[in-house]
Amino acid sequence: MEFDWTEEDLSYRSELRDFLAEELPGRWEGATAVLGSADNAEYSRRFAGLLAEKGWLTPHWPTEWGGTGATPWMLAVLGEELWSRGEPRGPQYMNVNWIGPSIMAHGTPEQCQRYLPPIAAGDVIWCQGFSEPEAGTDLASLRTRAVLDGDDYVVNGSKIWTSYGDIADHCYLLVRTDAQAERHLGISVLLMAMDSPGLVVRPIPGMVGEHSFTELFLTDVRIPVANRLGPENEGWSVVREALSFERVGAPRWARAAHVLDETVRDAMEQGRSIDPVTVEAVGVAKTACEAARMLCYRVIDERARDLPPSPHANVARVAMVQAERLVADACAALQGNEIMRYGSDSDLQMRKSLAAGVAAGTYEVQLNLVSRRHLRLPKN
Amino acid sequence: MDFTLDSHQEAVLEAVRTLLSRHGGPARLHDLGGDEPGYDHDLDKRLAEAGFLDIAEPRSACRLDAALVLETLSGALASSAAGWRLLVLPTLDVDVEGPVALVAESHSGPARFAADADALVVIGDDRVRLVRPDRRIPRVRSRLGWPVGEVSGLPEGGVIDEAPAAEVRAWARVALATEMVGAMQFALDITVRHVSDRRQFDRAIGSFQAVQHGLAECSVAVEGARWLALEAAFTGAASTAAAALTQASEASKLIFRRTHQYHGAMGFTREYDLHLSTLRLLALRSEAESLGRPAAACAHEHWGI
Repeated sequence: MEFDWTEEDLSYRSELRDFLAEELPGRWEGATAVLGSADNAEYSRRFAGLLAEKGWLTPHWPTEWGGTGATPWMLAVLGEELWSRGEPRGPQYMNVNWIGPSIMAHGTPEQCQRYLPPIAAGDVIWCQGFSEPEAGTDLASLRTRAVLDGDDYVVNGSKIWTSYGDIADHCYLLVRTDAQAERHLGISVLLMAMDSPGLVVRPIPGMVGEHSFTELFLTDVRIPVANRLGPENEGWSVVREALSFERVGAPRWARAAHVLDETVRDAMEQGRSIDPVTVEAVGVAKTACEAARMLCYRVIDERARDLPPSPHANVARVAMVQAERLVADACAALQGNEIMRYGSDSDLQMRKSLAAGVAAGTYEVQLNLVSRRHLRLPKN
Repeated sequence: MDFTLDSHQEAVLEAVRTLLSRHGGPARLHDLGGDEPGYDHDLDKRLAEAGFLDIAEPRSACRLDAALVLETLSGALASSAAGWRLLVLPTLDVDVEGPVALVAESHSGPARFAADADALVVIGDDRVRLVRPDRRIPRVRSRLGWPVGEVSGLPEGGVIDEAPAAEVRAWARVALATEMVGAMQFALDITVRHVSDRRQFDRAIGSFQAVQHGLAECSVAVEGARWLALEAAFTGAASTAAAALTQASEASKLIFRRTHQYHGAMGFTREYDLHLSTLRLLALRSEAESLGRPAAACAHEHWGI
């Protein structure tokens, strides 16, 4: 047991910081209020291209597909540095972290040739067609139906809470291909072009700011069988594996810690006195970020050792949500009435902390998994 | 980064656990008086003979192995001041044979181990003293699972040359956080066992989601405290030490309320072991506060506020 960074990791971090200091405008964080909007997607496309040129967009991919053999720790450093600056990769984040790897693992040679190079170049935006109006946390109850007709699936149904649906080129779509099978067994993954006839995308105005949501309506959308990822009716295990690739998900703690740091420094620079109760709130929030950091590192250590996914990832995710919320409270205490100013740090953090316990698996589901898999408490 | 024990650490902890299986654990604490115990001089003697009490080199920056030993001792409810010896004394160039107690300079009143200590480490703002009381410090009746003495009117003198007060305070925080982690894990483990076995309404009460979520949050809080404490022991950084103690203190509030709540009246009984760990947390937290509010210290270490 030891907790030192290697020289290699340290120099990678400092190289990244130099690059970001030059590339990102001052307080990029402040500009991310509408991340997910078309403007920022364009920015992220350009930014991802720059990263790709430096080999930093898909460093963890195999060299065959443009990777540089980066270790899981270097990937963690990359994630921390980018998330702490508001994730300028925008929607590219999920492309490189799980959509690409999922295609690598289950795609045909043709699918790999077609989809991976544009992701590695930062040229393309994907969205994920998972949630439905009647299938949110209980995703396996999804009902969007795909029926085989010749060389195509004909797809009918709807998807909701789809981030980037209005700007994406492709969708990683979950559909039901066997309505009779036990619900986890009748699901397939289809890779859908977003310009497919019969697909209508409706934006959903949101208050969170981090993403602009959309709703997808599919009416007799024809998707070639050649676009199915993995075997028919085995989509559930394909997607579970895809989502476990990252294990612990985005390093939200790094962004929360950065926001807290900026907010404290602003208050100090403005010479505002910070009362003892607020100082305590700040200390507790900082602590929560630090705890989440160590719990995430434990998961990365497991990944670096090629150990199978463990419930430690769920423990880390719970800690990250708590950190986001405590940072929101601390920022609100630090900034007082500034929270009324749209786009202030405390306003943004309040919005983001709301999303933290919902996006990519709710807080309660994570607690279920911690209690069953980590504490091994009995099932009902 | 390596979150697994190396073979040396594994061997040390195995040996400590073997020793504790004979000379530690809740049964031993019951023998010593339960929630009102005496000091376990016998355990200290055995730990010292085996070389476990000076596992950290004097002045060493990394005291990870010592923290691992301390967490194990605390998890077995040792009635010992080994924490101060394992993690704090390596900063100080002093020679003390028996138990030490540790208090802030301004402190008067109850302090763990004070009545049994050969010497007290007294931490001031910018100096550290080693006080050898000229008479035995009186015992205080306390029922929080520790031997406690009444500190008042300590003699002057005993200033340790060039002792870094801030560093000593940081290591005291690491020790307290580590001890809290051991005690919290004990409380959590016994509660998980209880709710898995105890049936009401024809089902294990641990299958109710309200209980599951409550314990899952406890577990996340304890894990956070554990890894921050170990990281602090590895780096010796004052900022991490303060964060570790903040996390442990916050977690201990959750653990105290919830582990007792899920035990029902069973948790109040002196025959049952839960209280031996939970009550200890209250004493550890109050000692933590006596070194300065942990969360405020965390903010101070990070931003100077």
